[in-house]
Amino acid sequence: MGLLAPTVLILLGLVLYPFFYAIWLAFSDKAVGSAGRYVGFRNFAYVIAWPQFSAAVFNTVIFTFSAVALKFVLGMSVALVLNQRIRGRNFFRAFLLLPWVMPAFVVYLVWRWLYDPLSGLINYALIDLGLVASPIAFLSDRSTAMPSVVVAHVWRNFPFYAISFLAGMQTISQELYDSAQVDGASRAQQFRYITLPGLYQIIGVVLLLTTIQTANAFEPVYLLTGGGPSDATMVYTMLVYVMGMVNLRLGEAAAVSTLFLPLLVGLVLAVTVLLHRKANA
Amino acid sequence: MREPLSIRATTYTLLALFVLMVAIPLFWMVTTALKSNKDLYEDFSYLPRRPTFEHFVRVIQREDLLTNIRNSFVVASTTTVVTVFVSAFAAFSIVRYRYRGREWVGRLILFKYLLPTAMLFVPLYAIVVALGLGNTLTSLILTYLSFMVPFCTWMLMGYFRSIPPELEEHAMVDGCTKIGALFRILLPLSAPGIVASAIFSFTLSWNEFLLALVFTSDHTTMTVPIKLSMMVVGDQYIWGQLMAGAVLASVPITILYFLGQRFVVQGLAAGAVKG
Repeated sequence: MGLLAPTVLILLGLVLYPFFYAIWLAFSDKAVGSAGRYVGFRNFAYVIAWPQFSAAVFNTVIFTFSAVALKFVLGMSVALVLNQRIRGRNFFRAFLLLPWVMPAFVVYLVWRWLYDPLSGLINYALIDLGLVASPIAFLSDRSTAMPSVVVAHVWRNFPFYAISFLAGMQTISQELYDSAQVDGASRAQQFRYITLPGLYQIIGVVLLLTTIQTANAFEPVYLLTGGGPSDATMVYTMLVYVMGMVNLRLGEAAAVSTLFLPLLVGLVLAVTVLLHRKANA
Repeated sequence: MREPLSIRATTYTLLALFVLMVAIPLFWMVTTALKSNKDLYEDFSYLPRRPTFEHFVRVIQREDLLTNIRNSFVVASTTTVVTVFVSAFAAFSIVRYRYRGREWVGRLILFKYLLPTAMLFVPLYAIVVALGLGNTLTSLILTYLSFMVPFCTWMLMGYFRSIPPELEEHAMVDGCTKIGALFRILLPLSAPGIVASAIFSFTLSWNEFLLALVFTSDHTTMTVPIKLSMMVVGDQYIWGQLMAGAVLASVPITILYFLGQRFVVQGLAAGAVKG
């Protein structure tokens, strides 16, 4: 129908066409300004043999799992606290949402400055508290770079988990908790047997959506470390960017993103299976 | 039932920790923007000794951030207006008409939702260059539509389904056309959904980073995120200006969000539950 035409045009031209074009690019030697020729699996062979590619696979998995796990724990704790009868709850709920409301690029620029080895707040505070003797180069040391990127990403994204879980908790009937208390159930038992089961569905949706988003995160790495030091934080989105936009090798860049499709599907399946098992346990 | 003291103590201790955790980076952003360079680099202090707006003045005058703010504003508002109209038409058509291939549109929308931008930006770049749109705001508006329209269509479908079609049928008996019924009945009744879609489109376009980084290459076409990220590599002593720019970039979005918070939460619920 006519009303649907613009949407169909957008979906065909800017979603489906680029998707198949990406797959074609992966099998071609296209560079900016030249028509590409079909080269078979050459790009894939080249990319897989490259140490940067295995680093990207490893880092993407590490980044995704640690960030999702931390966001889950932090988001759940915040939701549990906000679900208590506390004074000024509406204010605190709005305030703790701020990191997620702020633009992501702003958050990562602020964290880059917080981590600064010369004049950053974290180093000043650590030295003033006597915890370290000399400044730590958080983002340019191989051992601290990845954890630092994960922390900044978790800070920006935990509120989404918190508000989703909080919304779920508020649909759980208070009577369940009251009768559990009469039966002498501890707080931990109430959480385990009332709160968690009541949240399974929301947890499922949140984990599924955010696992995909986290695995595709680009800004934290680009704005904090650029993938360095020596590929310690090179995730796959960053590798696609470097190959396609810095080295201008479109075919190989497309090959990297095509190779990651099964991994992303695998991540989504892993989360689904994990949840299914939990729900049946 | 009153909580035991130990529980309340734990609750408030944790709450204080969470508030500090959120407040410190925000505090650092705002105070950095207000500090003089002396307070920042020579003689460190946690609080600005002589608060100054010099960084705001400099980021606007020397870095010409207003041009980039204008670019961001043009891109975000155009994307928003087009998205709302196109998505409302699409959602209306899918929800209220029966025809073959309808469900395919729904599937494509979901496919788009799961498809990462990282997979699309290389081909999109090639397409943008081939169309002669390299380094233009038009290229950003066009490509932003490709993720705003599916998302907002999905959300509005949830809203439209919740409104009984009889209302429009009555209006049509009274001589209203089908499109007239969309504008006079369906849209006003789904106002919260429309507002939520508009806020989403505006915010996501304002914040978008990857495509803007790939498509725009000079100062006159850069949006705010790209301009600020380019400043990082420029000057060693840029942090005052950068944080001033960061404050300027966050304020409109934060205000918009808190004004529309009610609608956004409703919109998410409608899209997720009814959709």
